[in-house]
Amino acid sequence: MTGNAPFLVVGVIFLLGLYAILTERNLIKIAIGISLLEASANLLLIVLGYRTGGSVPIFTLAGDVGTMVLPTPQALTLTAIVIGLATSALLLSLVMLLYRHYGTLDVREIRRLRG
Amino acid sequence: MNWQMHLPALALAVPLLGAFLSLVVGLGGRYLRNAWMVCVSIATTAICIMLLQRVLAGGTMVYVMGAESWNFTLPSGLSWPIRIIIQVDAFSAFMAATSSIAALAGAFFSLRFMDKFTGLEKFSALYFLLVTGMLGMQITGDLFNFFVFLEIASVASFGLIAFWRDRPEAVEASFKYMVVSTVSAMFVLIAVGFLYGRYNAVNIAAVARMLHMGYAEKIALVFLVVSLAMKSGAVPMHMWTPDAYAEAPAGVTCLLVAVSQASLYGLFRVCFTLYGVTAGSVVIPWTIIIMGVLSMFIGVTMAVIQKEMKRLMAYHSVSQIGYILLALGVGLLSLKDPQAMADYGFTAMKGGIFHILNYTMYKGLLFLSAGAVFYSAGTRDLNELGGLARNMPQTTFMFVIAAAAIAGLPPFNGFVSKLLIYQTTFAVYPLLAVAALVTSVLTLASFVKVFQTAFLGPARKTFEKVVEVPASMLLGMAVLTLVIVVLTLFPGWTLSHLVEPAAKALIDQSGYISAVMGGGL
Amino acid sequence: MWEKVYSGFGYWDVYLWLLFFAIASAVVLFIRSKGRSDYKEGTEQDEIFYGSNIVPEDGGDIAVPAASAYWGFVEALKPYYNWLIELHTGIASEYVGYFMLTLAVVAVLVLL
Repeated sequence: MTGNAPFLVVGVIFLLGLYAILTERNLIKIAIGISLLEASANLLLIVLGYRTGGSVPIFTLAGDVGTMVLPTPQALTLTAIVIGLATSALLLSLVMLLYRHYGTLDVREIRRLRG
Repeated sequence: MNWQMHLPALALAVPLLGAFLSLVVGLGGRYLRNAWMVCVSIATTAICIMLLQRVLAGGTMVYVMGAESWNFTLPSGLSWPIRIIIQVDAFSAFMAATSSIAALAGAFFSLRFMDKFTGLEKFSALYFLLVTGMLGMQITGDLFNFFVFLEIASVASFGLIAFWRDRPEAVEASFKYMVVSTVSAMFVLIAVGFLYGRYNAVNIAAVARMLHMGYAEKIALVFLVVSLAMKSGAVPMHMWTPDAYAEAPAGVTCLLVAVSQASLYGLFRVCFTLYGVTAGSVVIPWTIIIMGVLSMFIGVTMAVIQKEMKRLMAYHSVSQIGYILLALGVGLLSLKDPQAMADYGFTAMKGGIFHILNYTMYKGLLFLSAGAVFYSAGTRDLNELGGLARNMPQTTFMFVIAAAAIAGLPPFNGFVSKLLIYQTTFAVYPLLAVAALVTSVLTLASFVKVFQTAFLGPARKTFEKVVEVPASMLLGMAVLTLVIVVLTLFPGWTLSHLVEPAAKALIDQSGYISAVMGGGL
Repeated sequence: MWEKVYSGFGYWDVYLWLLFFAIASAVVLFIRSKGRSDYKEGTEQDEIFYGSNIVPEDGGDIAVPAASAYWGFVEALKPYYNWLIELHTGIASEYVGYFMLTLAVVAVLVLL
């Protein structure tokens, strides 16, 4: 049962992020929600690769180890973190530009394009 | 060894190199930067067309990154692939060639169109990054790599849409696209995570071989299908499309059209190759068909009332995506039943894939001609435009060809693919064909409106000094016009030599798997 | 290279169409050549007839704006268009909402 706790955490963080994106009006809070989604996806990948009692997946001079955690999800997560960094940086700079142009951070007032 | 073995890797390496070096080359001034942009675009297109030629002649190509030899897919002693594999079958190569032609036209067009912007070396870097992401999505054989290239393409396109950062609308459009697109990309990543958790593999062929339906697979399928349908702009998730397409610079919009095709490619790769007949139920095919019909109808009715030229055309791309979804949804529906596949399913898929090619060409051309009007006349508002056919005869000529093609007027290529779609969807459910026909009529109606208000009518005082756009912009449009004319004059050849192999590759799931996994196990 | 396209229910031959187009154009041009040839340039035959009024200098004054195109069509479908325009609110978080809604509906249908 405790083995499934990390998945529960993934689900909670994911739903929190989604809730923030759907209900918050402030653009910065929406950006935080998106970061939470990214964090939960990364956590999911890491949790998927974990094996109980496993050690670091490095073969060279590993010594006497029984199980290792899976290395692939860690590589995937690193890539996903880098992508998340790029998106967050770009998102925040767009928010900054939007504030400069519209003078507000309310998502409901930034709607010049519609219909 | 023959250097052509490395074509799949070159198709990614050349635009990526072009992207990073254009920052360096940009230091050398405007002419050097433009020359670099032209050279890299032509090289990318040439590589993609050679790739297509080679795949059509020699079957599916596999390229393994980082292995001792390029075709060493299974490390010795293992029965599943662990390295990054690029896999190009006829459908991938077809898509890559199609999109690279659109990218070439967009690059030619952007040379002069972007004159009034600053920071152009960053523009060309982002442009080639977008091309890399697009081609990567189309030729990768790995689910996680697909996500990575999807994100590369997305981030590059956010930057390009907001490139005119002094214009509030451009930043707004980019922000909206970014929020929706990043959320959907996270769903793609979670779906990849689910599949990895079940099968310990991210290679499409390896997962497809082991796949059997359970709850995790079903949820992953839904996540992938809905997210990628959103990225290609299907109703009811199309709202970002008109904003983003209308506000991006015209050359970029031409490329964005091709990028949306890459998302469609991913959608069909997942449905046909990754899941295939294993998916079982008819819910997903019908979801795709219903999304297609809604996209066609809602897209075109919204287009009729638009008053801005590029926004009107952007709503049309929603409706044209609907045709492709409808046709390939019918193909997916008949996947399990060989009789239905032979009767109408395969022809529907041919129509759909031919429509992908046609759509990319004429839609790109329409956006470029709207950009040309904006460049010369300085406005996109149809209420203010008028009588431009006198000032811009070449642009008008190419616009008419593209508009006739998108409206499906015979003898243009759009008619041929639409004919195949009408007749085969009629066999499934007659109402689908009726919806497609009504959409076509409304498409014609709204392009008559654009032609009549922007190009015809009495000459206006405000546009007295308007002249034809520069030669390099005309060249970009001429590339696409030429392709449309060729497709129009040789539809039979195109269908049997380009489209049919692509459709066969799409339904040949075992062929895709055995190219990586070998015959055994 | 020159083959027809078969759709399983019929066929499409672009060359036949072009031939028909050429013949039709020839007929049209023939009929046009039968028209009157006593037209004189530079006289009042050459002037625009604008309901006996003086033709405005700027073409923009007599053009029909795009906003008026298909007025009847839009007017007849007013309820539908009101609903459709209300959907496109322009609010980014609602766009995410539509995405999530579609995802939920399809997920329920697939899992059932």
